[in-house]
Amino acid sequence: MSETFTVPARDLTKSGIPTLADIGERLRGGAWAFVVLGAGLLGLGLVLQAERGWGNLLLTAFNLACVGLGGLFLLAIQSITGARWSDPILKAHRAMPALLPVAGALMLLLAFGATTLYPWARPDAASHEALHGRLGWLNPPFFFGRVALIFMAWIWVGRRLTQQGKGAAPFILVFGLTFSLANFDWLMSLEPVWSSTILAIYGFSGMFLQGIAIVTISAIVLRRVGLLPAVSKAQNHDLGKLLFAFSCFWAYIFLSQFLLIWYANLPEETGPMRLLLQGRWMPLFYLNLVLNFGLPFVLLLGRKAKTSETVLLATCAILLAGRWLDLYLQIMPPVLHGLVPVFGVAELGGILLQLGLGHLACWPVFMKDANPAQELPQGG
Amino acid sequence: MSSTEHLHRSRFRASFADPEQLLHAVKHLRTAGHRVLDTYTPFPVHGMDEAMGLRPSRLPRACLAFAVLGLALAAGLQIWTSAVDYPLITGGKPLLAIPAFIPVAFELTVLLAGLGVVASFFLVARMRPRLRIPDLHAGANDDRFILAAELAADIQFPAVAQELAGLGALDSGLLVEDRFQRRSAFWDRPAGVGALLLACLPAFLLLALVPVLNRDFQRRNLAWDGGMGAPLSAQAYDASGVLPSGKVLQAPPPDTLSRHGEPPLAFGPGKAEAERAGRELQNPYQPTQARFNRGKLVFERVCATCHGREGDNNGSVIVARGAFAPTVLVSPLVRDMPDGRLFHVATFGGPTKMKGYGDLLSREDRWQVVLYIRELQKAAKPAAAPAQATGAQP
Repeated sequence: MSETFTVPARDLTKSGIPTLADIGERLRGGAWAFVVLGAGLLGLGLVLQAERGWGNLLLTAFNLACVGLGGLFLLAIQSITGARWSDPILKAHRAMPALLPVAGALMLLLAFGATTLYPWARPDAASHEALHGRLGWLNPPFFFGRVALIFMAWIWVGRRLTQQGKGAAPFILVFGLTFSLANFDWLMSLEPVWSSTILAIYGFSGMFLQGIAIVTISAIVLRRVGLLPAVSKAQNHDLGKLLFAFSCFWAYIFLSQFLLIWYANLPEETGPMRLLLQGRWMPLFYLNLVLNFGLPFVLLLGRKAKTSETVLLATCAILLAGRWLDLYLQIMPPVLHGLVPVFGVAELGGILLQLGLGHLACWPVFMKDANPAQELPQGG
Repeated sequence: MSSTEHLHRSRFRASFADPEQLLHAVKHLRTAGHRVLDTYTPFPVHGMDEAMGLRPSRLPRACLAFAVLGLALAAGLQIWTSAVDYPLITGGKPLLAIPAFIPVAFELTVLLAGLGVVASFFLVARMRPRLRIPDLHAGANDDRFILAAELAADIQFPAVAQELAGLGALDSGLLVEDRFQRRSAFWDRPAGVGALLLACLPAFLLLALVPVLNRDFQRRNLAWDGGMGAPLSAQAYDASGVLPSGKVLQAPPPDTLSRHGEPPLAFGPGKAEAERAGRELQNPYQPTQARFNRGKLVFERVCATCHGREGDNNGSVIVARGAFAPTVLVSPLVRDMPDGRLFHVATFGGPTKMKGYGDLLSREDRWQVVLYIRELQKAAKPAAAPAQATGAQP
């Protein structure tokens, strides 16, 4: 393994190179543009077709929460195992949980669209046979109370973990319970007739894979601009191995869910899965497999590929697209009531909002953490 | 050191207490033109591959090849057995049920990749049972970090030893020459391995004889399948020493209902019940061509042996035996009976000899036979037009 990078890091100590503040300023303008444009498009989508608008807002909120949790979870397991390999990239992990309050606010916004999204929130829910006996748990006040409680728990435990480096083991416990609950509550109740007991671990596999992908992108990009000078090819190799392993893990869990539902063929389990195997949804169903497992598996199979920044960046981009599609295929079929999949203003708005908010929330935390005064020699 | 061993002229070793010193020494020796043969460390030392200038291992390629082999074997076996050789539909799934094949294919891929890469490693590294590794240094299996190297062409060892000591070597020295050429034991040579396998052969033969000899000599055991034709489980028509009836086959308990979805018939046998049936029952079916065909089929198979194909007592049993005469179906007596009465006779039997067919014919078939008898009676009208004799009423 060669230790030299094809693209060298910028030396921030030399004059003529834009300062950190400059980089942040430039990116912040773009991020605000993304947020404004994304929110506008999402709003337009809401007006045009309420179901798609609210569905994309749920997707955006849930995925932003997953990014934050991905960073926290990586941080927690590295704290518990006493890992040292990740020291040069820990700052990227530590910035990600800053997204949790934003995601929580967006999640609570859904209270205004609950009747559109969730069958149990509609006035006629009591007459719905499938919801009989479930309305005690699935009703708007209790549901959004749980949302608020879960996010408060995440933010509190996350703050302790990122700022004091404490409470990794309690976090894993809290995370395991609340994240399972979040998946069953926020995603599975979109289709009350449907049930899948493995959904939470499926959600976890996608969330963790995305977390590693974002950390990998951050490690590569921030090394190139000179903000993570200690990153070496060893970190890239480790991240590549993690990406490869958890892409396989995602496929394993995907099949564990799909195989049983397909084999048993029980009406209360097939639900949205049956829809995904038909018509215009079917290509997307297979594309999901290709993006989250097929392409990453082939791209990262070799040892050289796992250390190459180009291959890693490409794979991570594919994985992020795959994660969006994965959530889209979980949320949209029940929300759209069997209509064909569409990519329009609402979807584009949701993606822009995720990118913009992701940068705006994480960058200041990262900058505070990566104070160059502590990292780089003065002068030059 | 015995007198038969003598020192190699150019190969030497050095031991260190610290992995960083070893790494540094390896780099130093290679820049000085010496050839580092190998290093021996208690744990993998990061960066040693590059320092020694080792090429990347070729084992991943073997791993990939074995993984593909495992995948191909698993997929091939499952596709061949399930979809080609013995196509059996299971659980309503298609014959080529790919999702169901994935777990086995995955396991076999992993298994063959794992076993194959370990076997390849042993093969490439020339490791085998009873291999004697030369004692390079007393600390090699303990906490020492050791290198073995070959001197560059025009350099003498003492100079190198001094350099190594300067780099932190605890000790160094020339290797003993003939350590690697030790004569192997008989069991380590191919002939020895063959002899060992041959010695095991009687045991294998004995094992193979067990199923052959393990048979019941009290019985004539001519059939190769030995028992598939005569299973141990109770057969329906065997005698039973346990059950009160003395037979394995049991009559269904009283009031058992048919599973074919017909509600129980609210009539019993007997003349009074037959008259009640005649008053209360209506034929639920209208005559159509299909019902006529079905009624004809049932009548000719079941009823016609006694009653005759035309309902005129010309049945083969009556013609051959002549013992008794059943009721003539086309007679005015039967013609005047209501449908329900005929249905009752078909179900519970007639007043004299005829048995009931309620347990053999479905209710629908009995009503269709009644329909067919009515058509026979129409056709048998002596004064009727002959054109109507076909009886095919829509």
